[in-house]
Amino acid sequence: MNNLEIPAETTPEFTSTSETSLLVVIVDSNPSQKMLRDNPHVLTHCVDSVIAFANSHLMQKAQNKLAVMACHSKTSEFIYPGPNKPLDVRQIDGQYEVFTAVEKTIKHNLAKLLANEKSTLVTESLLAGAIAMALCYIARIQRTKPPGCRLNSRILVVTGSGDSASQYMNYMNVFFTAQKQGIVIDVCALDQHLSLLQQGCDITGGLYLKVPQLQGLLQYLLWVFLPEPPIRQKLVLPPPVKVDYRAACFCHRELIDIGYVCSVCLSIFCKFSPICTTCHTVFKIPGPLAVKSKKKKIKL
Amino acid sequence: MVDEEEQKEYRWETGYEKTWEAIKEDDDGFLEASVADIIQRAKRKRQAQKQGNSKLGMMRHLYVILDCSDSMSSQDLKPTRLLCTVKIMENFIEEFFDQNPISQMGIIIMHNKRAEKISDLAGNARKHIKAINNLKQTSLIGEPSLQNSLEMALRALKLLPSHASREILVVMGSLTTCDPGDINTTILNLKSEGVRCSVIGLAAEVHVCRRLANETGGLYNVILDDCHFKDLLYQQVDPPPAALTLESNLIKMGFPHQMSVEGTEEPLTMCMCHVDSTDEGSKLNTGGYYCPQCYSKYCELPVECRACGLTLVSAPHLARSYHHLFPAANYDEITYENQTVICFACQKNFSETDKQVYRCPNCTKIFCINCDIFVHDILHTCPGCATNLSTFQIAHNTTQ
Ligand SMILES: [Zn+2]
Ligand SMILES: [Zn+2]
Ligand SMILES: [Zn+2]
Ligand SMILES: [Zn+2]
Ligand SMILES: [Zn+2]
Ligand SMILES: [Zn+2]
Repeated sequence: MNNLEIPAETTPEFTSTSETSLLVVIVDSNPSQKMLRDNPHVLTHCVDSVIAFANSHLMQKAQNKLAVMACHSKTSEFIYPGPNKPLDVRQIDGQYEVFTAVEKTIKHNLAKLLANEKSTLVTESLLAGAIAMALCYIARIQRTKPPGCRLNSRILVVTGSGDSASQYMNYMNVFFTAQKQGIVIDVCALDQHLSLLQQGCDITGGLYLKVPQLQGLLQYLLWVFLPEPPIRQKLVLPPPVKVDYRAACFCHRELIDIGYVCSVCLSIFCKFSPICTTCHTVFKIPGPLAVKSKKKKIKL
Repeated sequence: MVDEEEQKEYRWETGYEKTWEAIKEDDDGFLEASVADIIQRAKRKRQAQKQGNSKLGMMRHLYVILDCSDSMSSQDLKPTRLLCTVKIMENFIEEFFDQNPISQMGIIIMHNKRAEKISDLAGNARKHIKAINNLKQTSLIGEPSLQNSLEMALRALKLLPSHASREILVVMGSLTTCDPGDINTTILNLKSEGVRCSVIGLAAEVHVCRRLANETGGLYNVILDDCHFKDLLYQQVDPPPAALTLESNLIKMGFPHQMSVEGTEEPLTMCMCHVDSTDEGSKLNTGGYYCPQCYSKYCELPVECRACGLTLVSAPHLARSYHHLFPAANYDEITYENQTVICFACQKNFSETDKQVYRCPNCTKIFCINCDIFVHDILHTCPGCATNLSTFQIAHNTTQ
């Protein structure tokens, strides 16, 4: 297809007829998440673990590919490979140049991003948006790969934030897209339980883990998330949890098991109301109710 | 009127000629603007026309009427008209239920001057696909009867509640129909019941089919080849604008959750959906979804509870169709003047060959054409808007 250019910054080449695994790690480095406000040093620990994990992924196969993103509340960026020219790295203490480059590039770009971060009060990290970018990135790599080469792609989200219902629509869109494209979404929750992201794991066939102890992060990453999805069936991994698929009503964002659905836009409400607040459709009201509802002021 | 529309439909084909001029080799000797690229530009144009429909018929009830008369054995589609139709239909059914989660479909075939229902109105894609697949063994005999089939579909659609969107899609290979009475009466009845009828012709234009579509607000098209056939059929995946006769309602629904108590063995139970079927899966099992009103068990969603009538769905299932109502804002095509070095979403480096780039009106981020297509065709969320707190919620509200 078109865009046959292979970006200069991604060094591992595709060899045709081979199988390649692309891993996109999304690191929530939003400094205002509760976990980092309590103890800012945790970020260094997490980033170091992610770098070691990412390098283990590259070490598994010469063709494996990697991208790392940082997610904040006002922006999300690729910090590896990153928009700039690759850093000039000479071999240091016997490590492969690639691994040193990964570490340097990630730390350099992350430091730059954190220096530009001004808002400190916004706690919500827009993870759904970062996943959307990752899906576009994966789609490009998929488009530009040579024919005959198989690309297995997955996304790992590492976050200490909570997930908020305000991103519900974006979350669902990225989950269904990933499912359609055969992309697995894994989630590693560091601080809070994430019920929406857990649904994403379930929909895309990924794994969800809330780490019991942050100090052991690297071990959990290597144990649970390093094996590629096809191999996972053969390993003893945390058992699948039953996912709560109840609906959140649009009016109060509360989980309900019986609700009312607008026939025009499929919005969900926990009580009967005469007008849909999403699409502004006025519903037929059964006789006696119609008189009563006149008194109530309808807020839009 | 419809003639005009039909011409517009494929006018983009003429756009092909000019775009060839844009093709040139880049530094590495690759043809940058490939044919795929040109087709994507055409897709983009169609996408632009889609926006701004806030009232759609989301609870669709669609009867597919398939011609199984001897005209379907013709080999102008490979391997035969019928086998080609079966193959394209299979994918269509899956895509239909993917995009229209709480809709229902039924299938009627016409052969030997009779209508035969091979699949009742239901929301289960697998059942329909099985029925369609069985058609491969059907003997293609006699003439079709359009009127008999339309009447059969109408009888079923009539019974539906007033908020249900009613549709018929006819795939017609024959150029004739053998009807017992005046088909115009049937067309008028369909019109007054608000049934939208679309027809895809496999051979040539048939007058009665055009009248049927025109009168009922549907689409009528005759295919050029199998790709065009697929394209026309897939246009039926998007929910149509709500018919004027369509009433709006709040419908009570149940959202079952998988019941499990930590540490206890779940009892083996029989699900209601398989209670009277003898084929695969009709065994006792654990797990499943329980109706929150009467506790009947089902192994699949969505389903209408057989015991209490409550429609049972899962919330993510409903969310699959929200993008029809809250599409991502269309991007503006702008000339590339080094506004940015890379595409915001996929990180592609823009080069001289990128004559046009695409800018989101909300977040003003700039994207390549491939991302523009991907975002509006599949993703339905603008990556620029969704990564910034000041834009991530307005993105979906602009069309309201
Ligand atoms: Zn509510
Ligand atoms: Zn509504
Ligand atoms: Zn069952
Ligand atoms: Zn029930
Ligand atoms: Zn792009
Ligand atoms: Zn945008």
